[in-house]
Amino acid sequence: MMDLFAAIEQTPLSIWVREDFYAFFWILIVHALGMAFLVGGGICVCLRVLGLASGARLERFRGFFPVMWAGLALSVGSGVLLFAGYPAKALTNPVFAVKVVCLIAAGLLMREIARRLFPLALRGEALPEWSRMLGAVTLALWIAAVTAGKFLPYTHHMLLAS
Amino acid sequence: MIYPPDTFVDVAALERFGVSTGVFTLMNSKWGWPIAESIHFTGLCLLMASVGMFDLRMLGVARGVRMSALHRMVPVGVAGWLMCLATGALFFLTAPGQYLYNPAWQTKMALMAVAGVNMVAFYLTTARSVGAMGPDDKAPVAARVIAAVSLACWLGVIVGGRLITFFRPPYHWCLWC
Repeated sequence: MMDLFAAIEQTPLSIWVREDFYAFFWILIVHALGMAFLVGGGICVCLRVLGLASGARLERFRGFFPVMWAGLALSVGSGVLLFAGYPAKALTNPVFAVKVVCLIAAGLLMREIARRLFPLALRGEALPEWSRMLGAVTLALWIAAVTAGKFLPYTHHMLLAS
Repeated sequence: MIYPPDTFVDVAALERFGVSTGVFTLMNSKWGWPIAESIHFTGLCLLMASVGMFDLRMLGVARGVRMSALHRMVPVGVAGWLMCLATGALFFLTAPGQYLYNPAWQTKMALMAVAGVNMVAFYLTTARSVGAMGPDDKAPVAARVIAAVSLACWLGVIVGGRLITFFRPPYHWCLWC
C-alpha cells in the first residue's frame, strides 16, 4: 500500500498539488464552495422533512437537487486533487474514512427521501412517523461529514509515504 | 510579531484580553481549534441551507416552493450565523493581529457588511411582495438583484475565510495605519 501511495506522490499531478502555491489556493476555494452548495442544499431538504417550512411543498424541493449535484461535482473534483496530493495522509487516517462514509450515507439517505417521501407529498398524503427520523439522521450525517473534514488536518499520522 | 504601527486599533490590548479571558489557552488546547472550526463550518452550512437556498429560490431555482414558507428557515440561518460569530470571535481573540491586517479577513468582513446592508434593503423594499408570491411566481427584478448580491456576498465570505491562512504575517494590509 505504501508503495502505491509513494507512486501516486511521484506523479506530476500530485507534485503540482503540493508544490504550486496557487494549486492549493484554488482547490480549497472550490472544495469550500462545493461543500456550501452540497451540504447547504442537503440540510435545507432535511429541515423541510423535519417539519420546518411545512407550508412549502416537499416534492418541489427536488428543484434544489441540481444545486447539490453541482456542489457534489465541485467537492469531488477538488477532493480528488487533494487526495492526489497526499494519498497516504488521507488513507492512513480513520477520520478520513469516517468523512467518506458519512457523505456516502448522507447521499444514499437523500435518495431515500426523494424516492419514498416525495411521491407521498406529491399525492398530498401525510408523511409517516419514520420520516422525521430519516430527516434527523441525514442532517446529523451532513454535519458529521463536515466536522470530520475539519478534523483531518489535526488527526493525520503521516503526511507522505515517499 | 511584526505588525504595522497602528494608532487606531490596540492589538496588544486585544491579545491581552484573549489571554486573560482564557480564550488563548482554550484555543491552543489539543482539540480547541478543530472543535471551534467544526462549529464555524456547521454554522456556515446552516446559513447556506436557509439564506443561501432562499436566495437561490428567489433567483428562480426550485420553483413551486412557496417563498413565504421557505422564509421560515431564516431563523436557522441566524442561528448558524451566531455560531460563526461566536467561534469567529474565539479565532480572532487568539491571534488578533493575524486577522486584523489580513486582506482575506478584511475582505470577508467587508462582504459581511455588504450582506447586512443588502438584507436591510430586502426587508425595507421587496420583502412584502416576495412574501405575497404564489409558489410558481417569478420574483420581481429588485428581489432577484438582492438575492444575487446576497448569494455573491456569502460565497465571497466563505472564500475569504478559506484564504485567511494564505496571508499570514509578516504579510499585512492596513488601510487605517
